[in-house]
Amino acid sequence: MLSGVRGRLTATIVALVVLTAVVLGVGAYVFVDTRLHDQALREAADQAGFDLSVLIPSRLGDPPTDESMRKLGDDFQRRGLDTIIVPPSGQPFATPGTLTTAYASIPDSVRSLVDRGQIAYAWQPLAGRSSLVVAGRVSGTGPAIYFIRDTTAIDDTLAQLRFALGAGGILLALVAVVAARQVARGVLAPVQEAARTARRIAHGDLSARVPVSSTDEFGSWAEQFNEMVDTLEDTIVRLEAAQTQNRRFVADVSHELRTPVAALVAEVSILRDHLDSLPPESRRAGELVVQDVGRMRALVEDLMELSRFDAAGEQVRAEPVDLGRLIRDVANARHRDAVLELPDDRVVAETDARRLERILGNLLDNAREHAPGALVVVRLRATADRIAITVADRGPGVPLDRVDRIFDRFYMADPSRRGGSGLGLAIAAEHAALLGGRLRARNRDGGGLAIELLLRVTDSLPAGDPAATPGDEPALR
Amino acid sequence: MDARILLVEDDPSIREVTAIGLSAAGFDVATAADGVEGMERFLAEPFDLVLLDIMLPRLDGYEVCRQIRRTSTVPIVMLTARGEAMDVVVGLEAGADDYVRKPFEVPELIARVRSALRRANAGPAGETASLRLGPLSIDVAGRTVARDGTDIPVTRTEFDLLLELVRHAGQVLSRDVLLDRVWGYDYLGDSRLVDVAIQRLRSKVETDPAAPELIQTVRGAGYKASR
Repeated sequence: MLSGVRGRLTATIVALVVLTAVVLGVGAYVFVDTRLHDQALREAADQAGFDLSVLIPSRLGDPPTDESMRKLGDDFQRRGLDTIIVPPSGQPFATPGTLTTAYASIPDSVRSLVDRGQIAYAWQPLAGRSSLVVAGRVSGTGPAIYFIRDTTAIDDTLAQLRFALGAGGILLALVAVVAARQVARGVLAPVQEAARTARRIAHGDLSARVPVSSTDEFGSWAEQFNEMVDTLEDTIVRLEAAQTQNRRFVADVSHELRTPVAALVAEVSILRDHLDSLPPESRRAGELVVQDVGRMRALVEDLMELSRFDAAGEQVRAEPVDLGRLIRDVANARHRDAVLELPDDRVVAETDARRLERILGNLLDNAREHAPGALVVVRLRATADRIAITVADRGPGVPLDRVDRIFDRFYMADPSRRGGSGLGLAIAAEHAALLGGRLRARNRDGGGLAIELLLRVTDSLPAGDPAATPGDEPALR
Repeated sequence: MDARILLVEDDPSIREVTAIGLSAAGFDVATAADGVEGMERFLAEPFDLVLLDIMLPRLDGYEVCRQIRRTSTVPIVMLTARGEAMDVVVGLEAGADDYVRKPFEVPELIARVRSALRRANAGPAGETASLRLGPLSIDVAGRTVARDGTDIPVTRTEFDLLLELVRHAGQVLSRDVLLDRVWGYDYLGDSRLVDVAIQRLRSKVETDPAAPELIQTVRGAGYKASR
């Protein structure tokens, strides 16, 4: 787009320069051409008039003899003029003789004017040379004399002029192209600067501004643009502050709830062992307390886990993990009925086993809660550059327009269900992102939900014992 | 059993219910509500085990742990907040043997306490041999480690870990296996316990802990003592 504008601007400037040069060049050429011809003609006419009326009559005699014609012709030749003398009767006499046949090619219009006693001229190539022929009759009625001047010099001069103008024109056009590009670049520099600024803003650098360096249309545009970015920055900063405040509030709340929840969990763990000794009417209440403390504990722990993601202090501790074994272990602990479809070959990936366990555990919990009693399949597939772990159930699935929302915090596909905290899938998605992968949900053909964890396979596992290097000590989380 | 336990915990509810649970399990429990009181109680009478909260008024749990370690190898179990990784690492580095995450269920805590006491009371068991690992000589009965005749002070847990590795020298022991054999976790232990203890052990016994020669990491598998 930008280079298009620059190209058009350059082309326009070049075209204008070339057009001007052509007009000036042609004008100058026509002027010089006319002047040269006019001057030659005037000189020739003056000479012819003078010679015909003053010089020749005394020299030629009437009727002219061959001898006088030859002498006269020789005299004019010494002055640089070729002549054809046409006596009223007899053959035309040409000096030099090579011109004898040229008389026939002098236009009739000239000859008839001469016959009538006038001085006439013609620009006429004769004997292979461009020539100016000026003719008249001696004393108006005597023999006709055709003076023939070689005008090759004029032609040469004009040819040189044409060459000079042509070469000059081409040079000018080249200079014009270079200059026009410079001009176009100069004119469009603020546009490019603005484009760069816009790109920086698009990449999140809200401090970028367009320099306002002129008071022209572009300057005022730049001011408007900067005002817009000011507003944008202001809004984003305020939204970020609000979000930070919001997240801090959640973090604070879950933090403050931690101690009472810890007390409740300890208390309930003792109460649980003595439920049987309670009178029947309080026993049920006790059972519910035990159950609800468990829910509350899960909710607070999930909230705290999410708060830690928001604080962005999370580190990944990657090491080679046998994925098949990890899936078997997690399924064993979290969903014993799940059917495992694992490849025959061992699949080892460089990843954080603890986070992977958490993702898989949450996906299995989700399947158990939303598809109670239904068949759950865990499938592991690995290609050269990608690993996919799918947890698929045969439960009710999720309405199509809400499939993408199941990873939102506190999203519940079925609000009447009270099983989990509503944070499990959001937590799983955060862990997946930390592992450089992502979660994808889809409804299965034939009913049910499938959630797929996609992990990129990073470089192949290093050989030897690189973990013994200090930088590779298990990192803190 | 009648082991004496010092419980240092500032939250009154947690302190009370934990004390009730431990007493019901047959332990003799003394409590303290802050770090300074905890130190005073510890110095005033003998205890078989200390349960130590981290966030304590006046003197925090790490500091109490360090002060106790100056004079005693009594088993110390930290009570840490869940998910705060530094709590665990700093606690273990301060000399704690194990930790229990809050929120905990009392039976779970009692299991950890019993496990720590069992390890502390594990006697020489008729074993008098002295084992070697490179320049280290390990006196199994005396529970001491020496390098070229100079004693290296190690905690009870570090000694158990070293002993376990040396008894299976050349064999890779996974973190889970070490958690089970050294700390007595059947399942669901925290492998950082192993990693931190290994790091501390290396810093004491290796010439260059950054390039360990005696205790090696086997990526994706665990640790082994060189043969």
